[in-house]
Amino acid sequence: MTFGLVWPALLGLVLAGYFVLAGFDYGVQMLTPWLGRDDRERRALLNAFGPFFLGNEVWLVAAAGVLFGAFPFLEGRLLSGMYFPFAAILAGIVVGNAAVQLRSRHRGVSARRLWDGLIFLGGLVPAVGWGLVTGRLLAGVPLDARNVFSIGPADLLHPFVLLCGATTTAVFLAHGAAFLAWRTGGEPGARAARAGRRALLVAAVAAAAVLVTGFLTSARHALVNPWPALAAGVALVVVLLAGAALLRAGRTGRAFAATSCAAALPVVALGAGLHPFALVSSGAPGTGLRLAEAMAEAGTLRILTVFAAVMVPLMVLSQVWNWWTFRDRAGRTRTYL
Amino acid sequence: MTDETLARLQFATTAGFHWLFVMLTLGLAPLIAVMHTRHALRGTPLLERMTRFWGQIYVVNYVLGVVTGLVMEFQFGLAWSGLAEYAGNVFGAPLALETIVAFFAESTFLGMWIFGWGKLPKAVHVTLIWLVTLTAYASAYWIMVANGFLQHPVGHEVRGGVAYLTDFGAMLTNPNAINALVHAATAALMAGGVFVAGVSSYHFLKRTAEREFFRASLRLGLFVATPAAFVALYYGFVQIPTLVDTQPMKAATLQGHSDDVGSLRVEDVQAQLVQRFGAGDYRPPSWIATAFDVMQGAGYLIFLLIVVALVLLYRDWYLRFRPAAYLLLVAVPLPFVAALGGWLLREVGRQPWVVYGELTTAAARSHVGSMTASLVLFCGVFLALAVADVALIARYARRGPAATDLGGAPGDGQPERPTASLAL
Repeated sequence: MTFGLVWPALLGLVLAGYFVLAGFDYGVQMLTPWLGRDDRERRALLNAFGPFFLGNEVWLVAAAGVLFGAFPFLEGRLLSGMYFPFAAILAGIVVGNAAVQLRSRHRGVSARRLWDGLIFLGGLVPAVGWGLVTGRLLAGVPLDARNVFSIGPADLLHPFVLLCGATTTAVFLAHGAAFLAWRTGGEPGARAARAGRRALLVAAVAAAAVLVTGFLTSARHALVNPWPALAAGVALVVVLLAGAALLRAGRTGRAFAATSCAAALPVVALGAGLHPFALVSSGAPGTGLRLAEAMAEAGTLRILTVFAAVMVPLMVLSQVWNWWTFRDRAGRTRTYL
Repeated sequence: MTDETLARLQFATTAGFHWLFVMLTLGLAPLIAVMHTRHALRGTPLLERMTRFWGQIYVVNYVLGVVTGLVMEFQFGLAWSGLAEYAGNVFGAPLALETIVAFFAESTFLGMWIFGWGKLPKAVHVTLIWLVTLTAYASAYWIMVANGFLQHPVGHEVRGGVAYLTDFGAMLTNPNAINALVHAATAALMAGGVFVAGVSSYHFLKRTAEREFFRASLRLGLFVATPAAFVALYYGFVQIPTLVDTQPMKAATLQGHSDDVGSLRVEDVQAQLVQRFGAGDYRPPSWIATAFDVMQGAGYLIFLLIVVALVLLYRDWYLRFRPAAYLLLVAVPLPFVAALGGWLLREVGRQPWVVYGELTTAAARSHVGSMTASLVLFCGVFLALAVADVALIARYARRGPAATDLGGAPGDGQPERPTASLAL
């Protein structure tokens, strides 16, 4: 059945798009309070992602839509099973998203300070949260006979899962730094490049630690396809190191391309590691909820496919148009944020 | 409170905040698109300042609409996973299409519109705001298709306890979706028009210098709000026969509050439903009739205020006779009050069903523990952000066009100039 190929691929594409695009938002959000020495610099840093910000976050909305439309029997299990990490991620995104857009609407110094704190928090919480979710999915979830699960805090405090959280945080931080180094010039841009190099090295160490703990702990047994997942993990370490080298050499655009690959690789690891499953059991390795069981029925998918065939290229084109329109580096575009 | 009540409260908080902000978004977008188009055609500075001023308020308002909308998309899976288990084949499709056909494009284009001032060619810039408007209404359509299915499930068959889509066309033309969409969309348009006219009235009362600016805004607001209010009222009544046919219990609950809800009595419908679905309480809370009264009362009052104000537009009496300006100032909150009443009537009035006649709300709930913590978290976050957002809207509205940040013309709202090093 081709739907079994098309829709998981589309879900992967949209999720990867979200990690790459919102990933640098979260990085910039975490960095802005530290890299921007005064209000003018902080605004300049935020406006570097200004025209793309609204368009970046909606990749998550699209992912949720694809999940609900094409994988309805995964959607409820996944979200309710990981209720608290998802609630925290959403609350973080809500706060960060509002803070980015409302911060400069206030003139007062203390109000802007408060929003700056929330901007940071709104970057940190989803960055950590997505790592924890990815790590837990890779290491399996406690599925019952009906393929339903519910995780508690102990399930997130697993060393492998925690290291995944640390890795995505460092990767998004580095990704945001590379974006700023590429899009802004001058002293803040140079500071971003320095911060990016450090974050990339930390991320590479964390990613390597994820691979090691993956082999040493119970996480290894849950993975259906350990080799493709390992390959994605090794690729992550390699692109992170390459990104650090490119930033050192001043090739900021290429460094951003490298960190973009790094941001997308957790999604690749998830897809490659779990296929043909959507959820794997941590208790009984090799069993779980198959993608085919999670998907909507063929009649529904046929209708969705017709719409998606027209709309997904238009969605992507609209964003390409956006990037092309605002391809100038920050400073040429008017300041709004 | 039971866990189910907490879960319902969490959904209602998210949806309620979402709807109030989205309503103004839907109402303002076409007005701004009209202003921007007229500016592009005639090039007068007044129309550009109008576009930027009302656009600024629109953009600040949009912030809360988009963040609550994001949480809405996830609420179904988080707290109501039984809904996807039962109706995922049917209900998921319009929600998925809403995100990829509408929401996604709306945000992308709005980002371009905000940053496109002074950068994009006029025709492209105006096209963007029309695309934002179009996708906003497309979004409303798909959401109402999804909601219409919950109100009156059509176009599907149930096999082995799972719903399968059989007639997509029937779902897209569900009268319970289409009539409600027209009602809600025109109510939103009315809210936008009344808001613009009300803020303008404030400036007449304060005798601010921008008389011409707000005179033009008032006229546009009223010219849009009047037909919108008429259609909204009319499509309120159009829905009643459908209601009697498809949701007899809700119609029976309104007995004595509306003339044309038939002669059904709550006890009789309850007995019929027990016969059909087994023992259980199929009555919604009786206060939904009060919600109906509030909606209808506010609706009539708005219509009256608008019509009087419209008459007073003749020879600018509205501007010359100062107390007249209070007419529309007091009208500003009324569409939102009416909308809350209508929303409660529609959603709470459907209880105890999530999919009317097929799946109860209790059966749809996720098997997660208590939601107290997340309810407090989301309520706290939404409330704080909503207060901050409304305060900002009020401040931009009060300060007038000179204090607008959007479009960043030199000298106003853009105190900093990018330094040479940043302009590389």
